[in-house]
Formats: sequence, structure tokens, C-alpha cells
Amino acid sequence: MRILVCIKQVWEPESLFDLQGTELRPRPPLRRKVGSYDELALEEALRLKDRLPRTNLTVLSVGPPPVVDVLRRALGMGADRAVHILAPDQPPPRPATLAAWIAAWAQGQNFDLILTGVMSEDAMQGAVGPMLAAHLGWPPVTSVVSLKVDGHALAVEREMEGGRRQRLALPLPALLTVQSGPNQPRYPTLSNLLRAKKTTPLTVDAAGLAAPPDREKVVALTPPEKRRAGLVLEGSAAQKAERLLAMLRERALL
Amino acid sequence: MSAGAKSRVVVVAEHSQGRLSPVNWELMACAGQMARVLGLEVAAAVLGQGVEPLAGEIAQRTGVKVWAVEVEGMAAFHGEAQRLALAQLLPAWRAQAVVGAHSTSGLDWAPGLAARLEAAYLPGVEGLSAGPEGPRFSRTAHYGKVREELAPTAWPLVLTVQPGTFPAAPPGEAGHGEVEVVRLPAPPCRSQLLEVVDGAGTDAGLGRAKVVVAAGRGVGQAENLELLRRLAGLFSSAALAGSRPVCDLGWLGYGHQVGLTGATVSPSLYIACGISGARQHTVGMQGSGFIVAISNDPQAAIFNLADVCIVEDLTVLIPALLEQASGYSDPASLQGDLPGRPG
Repeated sequence: MRILVCIKQVWEPESLFDLQGTELRPRPPLRRKVGSYDELALEEALRLKDRLPRTNLTVLSVGPPPVVDVLRRALGMGADRAVHILAPDQPPPRPATLAAWIAAWAQGQNFDLILTGVMSEDAMQGAVGPMLAAHLGWPPVTSVVSLKVDGHALAVEREMEGGRRQRLALPLPALLTVQSGPNQPRYPTLSNLLRAKKTTPLTVDAAGLAAPPDREKVVALTPPEKRRAGLVLEGSAAQKAERLLAMLRERALL
Repeated sequence: MSAGAKSRVVVVAEHSQGRLSPVNWELMACAGQMARVLGLEVAAAVLGQGVEPLAGEIAQRTGVKVWAVEVEGMAAFHGEAQRLALAQLLPAWRAQAVVGAHSTSGLDWAPGLAARLEAAYLPGVEGLSAGPEGPRFSRTAHYGKVREELAPTAWPLVLTVQPGTFPAAPPGEAGHGEVEVVRLPAPPCRSQLLEVVDGAGTDAGLGRAKVVVAAGRGVGQAENLELLRRLAGLFSSAALAGSRPVCDLGWLGYGHQVGLTGATVSPSLYIACGISGARQHTVGMQGSGFIVAISNDPQAAIFNLADVCIVEDLTVLIPALLEQASGYSDPASLQGDLPGRPG
């Protein structure tokens, strides 16, 4: 079986940043990682590979050169091959553009299964996966929490509001977006990391891939509106604690 | 922009087990605003089987035209069937915009539909305004820490509305809505919906508690939950909750999960500890009476919907709270915990 996992490189959630026009500028130190849902999609693919011996697992990411770091980590976790679609990160490509680029490359590669996270950890749009499936003419199933492969048949469960689950059956090829669950991503192994260090990902320049013109444009980035008072308590920890307790007592909450 | 006077904004209603979801009235509120900004007419569609009464309910409450789409074989929500059916029907409905919920269902059909229609896609919309060159839609981006304004540059639009952001119009009888039944043969789906299984249920006492103390990944390690338990112990009616990552890590059972795929709570007091404030969590707690957020990330999104913000390490702040609260309210109870007490 040939599996493709699409992963996105994100900044660590706690990284501080500044807004400049429609650009988000991180403050050093720059700490990047694989988006958490994508990492879980990769873990699901690796579990399939553990069970199904003749599985070939390709991992793909789109972005500027530092993206190679997350591809190497994926190789360290056990992926067989890495593909880097080289593209600038400013302005960030729209989901439809990303889907079109990935489809343009993946078409004709004979993948049986494409996995990605239910959404990117930072932008949380959940769009690239289903859009990619639309390009390929495959059925997407989103928010998958369980999957089993039996020959050319897939049995999946997807999670809905309130923990309700849908069970679906579908044939390969298919695209699934993976929701988080009890499975935690494995750590890279030393031997895989050594191999990854010597591996150069296949680089594909996005400029050579077809994509439609943007259908949306980011026209402003601003700090979010404060929806409540947002009173910031100052002082030492003890002073903050004292102030908070006083406020809770004033409101008869304590 | 090219929206003609008779073009429509079509709300795709969510329903399950014969009932409309409350989020539909928020979708209608968003569509109403879009109609005013864009000069469109609001309409709605309900897809499934036996959906005519649901369409009637929407028509009666909102006074708009509603299509009851009877889709052969679609006994429950099935994303692929819904997407294929909508792709077939929307052009005939003169839909310039399609509105769904930013829910697990909406996220299953809307992006693929947008790709198929070559439409602009606007996910998780929280507000809209009229800009100089057309409408602008706002959403939160980058871990919920930034508000992003998007301007569509193509039509039609497919958007998903973030639950809890457009106030639903109060129930009433707008009257004079019209229901049109459309019958559709089974769409050529490749996936097959086998069954829908109910969730394990949440019984961690979240719904009844007056105070909820909630843990996010920022708690750092499972051992620190003990501090949150003791904090909850200060209140007479309190429960411990967690964000999805905390439950995934097994630090708390899924019955404790608050957010999109967990419980929705609205206690008098919600204390968010180490919670980043991603929308998937905050949709489940934003209706709380008084919200206190504690995090050591000064840019955490949770601070934007908190009444009180405390930038501090939890392992320092909570012990300080416990010490002062015990000393104040009932010194004897603290004494009681001291080892070596006679008797």
C-alpha cells in the first residue's frame, strides 16, 4: 500500500509574535514543530505500516526551506520518503492553493491512501484535506478517530459533536483527516534520524505546479477583540492570589 | 461584485435525530447580516429523510423560503451525500453564498463543496462588515491569537460560521415562509454510512457544577492536576474539566472534556488553567458566568474572553491561592490536614 501523509510546519503555540500589516512576525527564538494533528495522522500511517509490511509511506510538506526539519523528523519517526513542495510562506498560501499544489504533484503517484490532520494546529481551517480529495475525485472522511484497512476496503469511525461517532465503509483510494485520540505520536529513533540526516527530500518547486488564482485575500490582521473585561492582575503571585480571592468573594463565588 | 438582486444566501441547516440544532438560528442571523450587506435574499435548505417538518419549523420561525431536500438513502447526516446533493442543487437555487456551521459536519462537506464550485471559502466566520470593495469576513487565526479579515475575490462564497458568535434571533413567528420539497435520488457516494453511535456520555458532574476548574495542556504534567483538584475543593459545588489534548493524554477521562467534541458548560465560575483558548475549547465554555484565566503565555487567546487574566505559573499561583483561601475562610481545615495532629 502506498500512503501519503501531508504535514504542516507550525510555530510552537507559545511563541510570541508581532503584527505588521497583514504579516505575523515571530519573535526569536523561533521554535517550529509539526502541527499536532498532522503528527497524529503520521502516527496512524506508521501504525498501518507496522501492521501491513509492504507499505510505502511518503510524507509531504509545503513551505520555505526550514520545512525540511519537520520532514526529517517524520523520516526519523519511520516515513520512507519525504517530498518538499518549496513555496514562500508570505503571504501564507490559501488552502485552495495548497490543495491544488499537492494534487498536482500527487496525481499519478498511485497513492492508495492520503492522511492529514483534521486541521492545522495554528490556522484551524480544516480545509486542505477535503479540498485535496475534491481535486483527486476521492471521498474524504474528516475527523477520523479509528481506521482499519482490509484489502481495498476501509472501515473508519469519525467523531462528531458530543462524542457521537459515525461508522463508515469506503473503498481505497481515499483521503482521511485524523482527529486526536488516545494514540500519542512516537518519538523518532536514532537509527532513523541518522538515515534521515543523509536523506535529501525530493524538492518540487511550487512555481511549476498549477493552482487557481486566490479566491480570498487576507486584508487585515488585528489583535482579537476582548469579549470580556479582561482585567489583568499585577504584582507577585501572592498579590495576584489575594486579589483574585477578594474578587471571587465580592461576587459571592467563593 | 456580481450578486444580483434575486441571488440568494442559502443556509444549510444542521439536524440530527429529527431535531434542528440550535446553531441554525445563529446561521440564520449571519445570513441575515449577509443579506443586508450584499443585497441577497435569505433561504435555507434541510437535507435528509423526513425533513419536511424541520423545513416547516425554519420557515415558520424565520419567514424565509426553505427547501426540504428528501435525499434517497440519507437517513442521517452523511457528508459525502450532502456535498454531492448541494453541488447539484445550488446552481438552480441562484446561490451566491452558502452558509454552514463550523462544526464536525460543516467541516466535512463545506471545504470540498467550495473546491467543487470553485468558490471562495471562508471558514469559522465570526463577523462581517462592508468594506470599500465588498464584504469582509472576520475569523480568528494563529492559535486564536489573531483576528483575520478576509475579502472574497471570487463568487460564489462557501462559509462556515463559528458557533456562539452570531446572536440567534429570539424565537418567534415570522410567518409566511415557504417550504418546497425536492426529491433527489441517492447521490453516487463512494463512502457508505453504516451507523451512528452515541458518545460515552459525560458524567463528570460538569453540567451540575456551579464552578468548573479546567485543565489545558499548559498544566504541563498529570501530577499538577492534583493542584487543580485542590483548587476545586475550595468550592462547594465544583467539577474538574479538561481540554481535548488533556483527555487525549489520558490525564482526565473523556467525560471531563469541554469543547466542540465534548460537553458545553455554563457554570457561574470557570477557572481556565493552562488553556490556550483554541476555539474548539472555548465554544464549550464561553457562556460561563465569570471566567478566570491562568496561563504563563501572555498572548494566550483565552485571555480575550476572560473577565480576569493572570499571567503566572500555575504551580506557583495555585498554591498561593490555596494557602490564602485556607488561611482566610477556615484555618481549622488547614490545621486538620497537618500530619502529627494529636488524636
